[in-house]
Amino acid sequence: MSTTTTKSPAHAAGPWAEQAITRAGTTREGAWALTRRKAAAGTLSTLSLPKREDELWRRTDFGTLEQSLAGLDPFAQSPTARNVDDLPAAVLERIAGEAGNAALVVQRDAGVVLEQTHPTLQKQGVTVCSLDRATREHEALLAPRFGSLLHDDYDWYTAMGASVRQGGLFVHVPKGVKAEIPVRMFHWIDGAGRLVAPRTVVVVEDGAEATILEEMLSETVEGASLHAGGVEVFVGANAKLTYAQLQDWGRNVFHYGNVRAQVAQDGELQWMQVMVGGRMTKANGYFDLDGSGARAYVNGFMFGDARQHFHLHTLQRHLKPHCTSDLLIKCCLKDKARSVYQGLIQVAEGAQRTDAYQANRNLLLSDQARADSIPGLEILANDVRCTHGATLGYVEPEHLYYLMARGLPRVEAQRLIVEAFFEPVIERIPLATVRDRLRGEIERKIG
Amino acid sequence: MSTEAEIDVRDGYAEKYGFHDTEQHVFKSRKGLDRDIVQQISKLKGEPEWMLEYRLKALDLFESKPMPTWGGDVAAIDFQDIYYYVKPTSEEAKSWEDVPEDMKRTFDKLGIPEAEQKFLAGVGAQYDSEVVYHKIKESLEKQGVIFLSMDQGLKDHPELVKQYFGTVIPSSDNKFAALNSAVWSGGSFIYVPKGVQVDVPLQAYFRINTKDMGQFERTLIIVDEDAYVHYVEGCTAPIHSSDSLHSAVVEIVVKKGGRCRYTTIQNWSNNVYNLVTKRAVAYANATMEWVDGNLGSKLTMKYPAIYMMEPGAHGEVLSIAFAGKGQHQDAGAKAVHCAPNTSSTIISKSISKDGGRAGYRGLVKVMKGAVDCRSTVNCDALILDEHSRSDTYPYMEIEEDKVTIGHEATVSKIGDEQLFYLMARGIPEDEAAAMIVSGFIEPIVKELPMEYAVEMNRLIQLQMEGSVG
Repeated sequence: MSTTTTKSPAHAAGPWAEQAITRAGTTREGAWALTRRKAAAGTLSTLSLPKREDELWRRTDFGTLEQSLAGLDPFAQSPTARNVDDLPAAVLERIAGEAGNAALVVQRDAGVVLEQTHPTLQKQGVTVCSLDRATREHEALLAPRFGSLLHDDYDWYTAMGASVRQGGLFVHVPKGVKAEIPVRMFHWIDGAGRLVAPRTVVVVEDGAEATILEEMLSETVEGASLHAGGVEVFVGANAKLTYAQLQDWGRNVFHYGNVRAQVAQDGELQWMQVMVGGRMTKANGYFDLDGSGARAYVNGFMFGDARQHFHLHTLQRHLKPHCTSDLLIKCCLKDKARSVYQGLIQVAEGAQRTDAYQANRNLLLSDQARADSIPGLEILANDVRCTHGATLGYVEPEHLYYLMARGLPRVEAQRLIVEAFFEPVIERIPLATVRDRLRGEIERKIG
Repeated sequence: MSTEAEIDVRDGYAEKYGFHDTEQHVFKSRKGLDRDIVQQISKLKGEPEWMLEYRLKALDLFESKPMPTWGGDVAAIDFQDIYYYVKPTSEEAKSWEDVPEDMKRTFDKLGIPEAEQKFLAGVGAQYDSEVVYHKIKESLEKQGVIFLSMDQGLKDHPELVKQYFGTVIPSSDNKFAALNSAVWSGGSFIYVPKGVQVDVPLQAYFRINTKDMGQFERTLIIVDEDAYVHYVEGCTAPIHSSDSLHSAVVEIVVKKGGRCRYTTIQNWSNNVYNLVTKRAVAYANATMEWVDGNLGSKLTMKYPAIYMMEPGAHGEVLSIAFAGKGQHQDAGAKAVHCAPNTSSTIISKSISKDGGRAGYRGLVKVMKGAVDCRSTVNCDALILDEHSRSDTYPYMEIEEDKVTIGHEATVSKIGDEQLFYLMARGIPEDEAAAMIVSGFIEPIVKELPMEYAVEMNRLIQLQMEGSVG
């Protein structure tokens, strides 16, 4: 049912989709993928922008972005990088001389500019490439999975993203292969007024293992940009995937991200969600435990300052018996920052022996900050152990005095307390250099 | 005790509460809702002009507001297929002897006069749309305590009613509050003067008798400075083939240093939609406590609220929800901290069995400037079989940093070890399960006056009968 009027900013998306379809013809996109793109454009034309009445949009207003939506450019391209030295300096700095220790895929604005797998992974038969390439070269692996967890009709932004889709990552780890080195994906936005909508698919076959780090960064510039990406992750039976998504956009970027994960029998997913950048962030992570004995461990943190706004929505879906999920989301806010954590544990009928845990901890550093916490349980089986907890507090004066009494200045004491608050989540992030950088980022933010 | 597997969870309700009297009323409005009906109700009651205007305005609001899209399924309610006003007697009886014989029988069966003599400070009994009996102890009356039906309150204390009516819950609050504001009838009006401690409970009893009837009682309680009152309400209805609607509004004002406890044992039959708005405002150092037991009804959507307006105010909600076959208990609580140094505690226990759905939906809100607030929310749910469902939706909206807020919830089944422990001591399985459930809700039941605790435990036993096949 379309309620789109000619004045709605959503109108801009129609021509984008058409243009994207034309361009896909020239970039040799796999025929099946082009068909999907057209279908997404069709779905898009039936949807309107999310409304405030929608429970998932009541607390996050993308109004400012929607005003400038029509002016965004979804096709800004940068020339392909010959090697890492052609990458933006900020990205190079993050790689921190470890380019040789990981497979690398770098997206700059609307296109992947560097795809560089690693000889070790190549030898192991692991596929690492851009999603665009995968539509041509890995149709058999990709086509049945792409869009099977993240549906175009989820909302307007998702349909729009699927119709203008550019870039993204494809990783495939064959049966029984334990990928020896990590895959790193970087997203960089070069300036204002960009619209970037990459889609990533990761397949870890039965008994395989992999580690992936996805980092998003840009400089703060004048004028809004939108990043509307989607990630679909498939963890096979007895497989293990560690995936960290780190969002550190410049303060002009609106981030809308969807994550969908499916874990099969006795598989294990370690998911890390870190959000420190951007103007406004809206992220949805759905974790399906779809085989007996599947496990999902979700850890995340948000640290907001100035007028930053973070909204994280998670679903732990226990579809089969004997599954475990454990979620911990930490949030620290200063200045006028705002956060919304909206999480739900769903236990399907028959999913007995479920063990599910959900915790949300909030630390407020200013009386202008605001945190909403909405944990929830929907349980349709009886032999379960489901617990959730949410707390909200401030830096306790006793803790401060304890440290200050030992000679630490107030600022130092507060920094220590905030660092200690985040540390349990940071510890779980792969790669020491990334952990150290995050600690530095937190320190810088505490100021 | 029965051991059959397929037994209606509300087994026993039919004999104890499910009877209905032949309809004998002095007036019954036609079915449906429009301006004429509202005008008719107001005219029959001989109300002041402002109340009629208030009702008509509320009717417009009701019509303009959409149905809630969350919570339970209310789509089946046909607002035009309901009798909005059924007047059972020509006037309120002052002595039990004057209550018409059939109604007396009803309340006798439910044990009302007995309870009054034994341990109550006052009793009100509402039958369909009107309060048919009202009585308060003389000693309290002398101290200036007012305990009247809302209609009588409006007649006898128009200024007091006008000052507070609709101030805690405006008719624009939600669709069902608007509906109640348009067609309200009956309910209690209570005023406790400064410093007066009413140390035994006041009770009201609500009964729906007529088929396809809507009951819209309206209660207003004002507890003046340093005063105390405990108000208890109970509700039952006969089992009809079609559904009834109960949509009450309860407003409470607790002034500085006052304390009010409001206890509900809701035991409507399984064909009643129970959509109720309850809210209290608590001023400096005042305490408001809601004890809310929901065992009956087809669907209950009820979230007793406390707005803590001034420093030192304290709010407490103890909630029990038990959903059996065909029941959905969407119970919960709201604590809104509007001032510094306020505290709230919410404890919820929900039980679901035989395909029932019970849950907690709540809100803890801390407004800007309300520093040094504390709030604790604890929700525990027990699911007794694999077809039943439990939901927990606790909302937390915090706009202040110097606060301590905690929420915890667990969902579990009856532990096998617990069952075996009791069964090894010769207790049959169903009794053992009932004992465990009683133990589960014990922290709340112990807050009830003794007679009600006994009643509550009995109701739980009833719900539990035949629970183990």
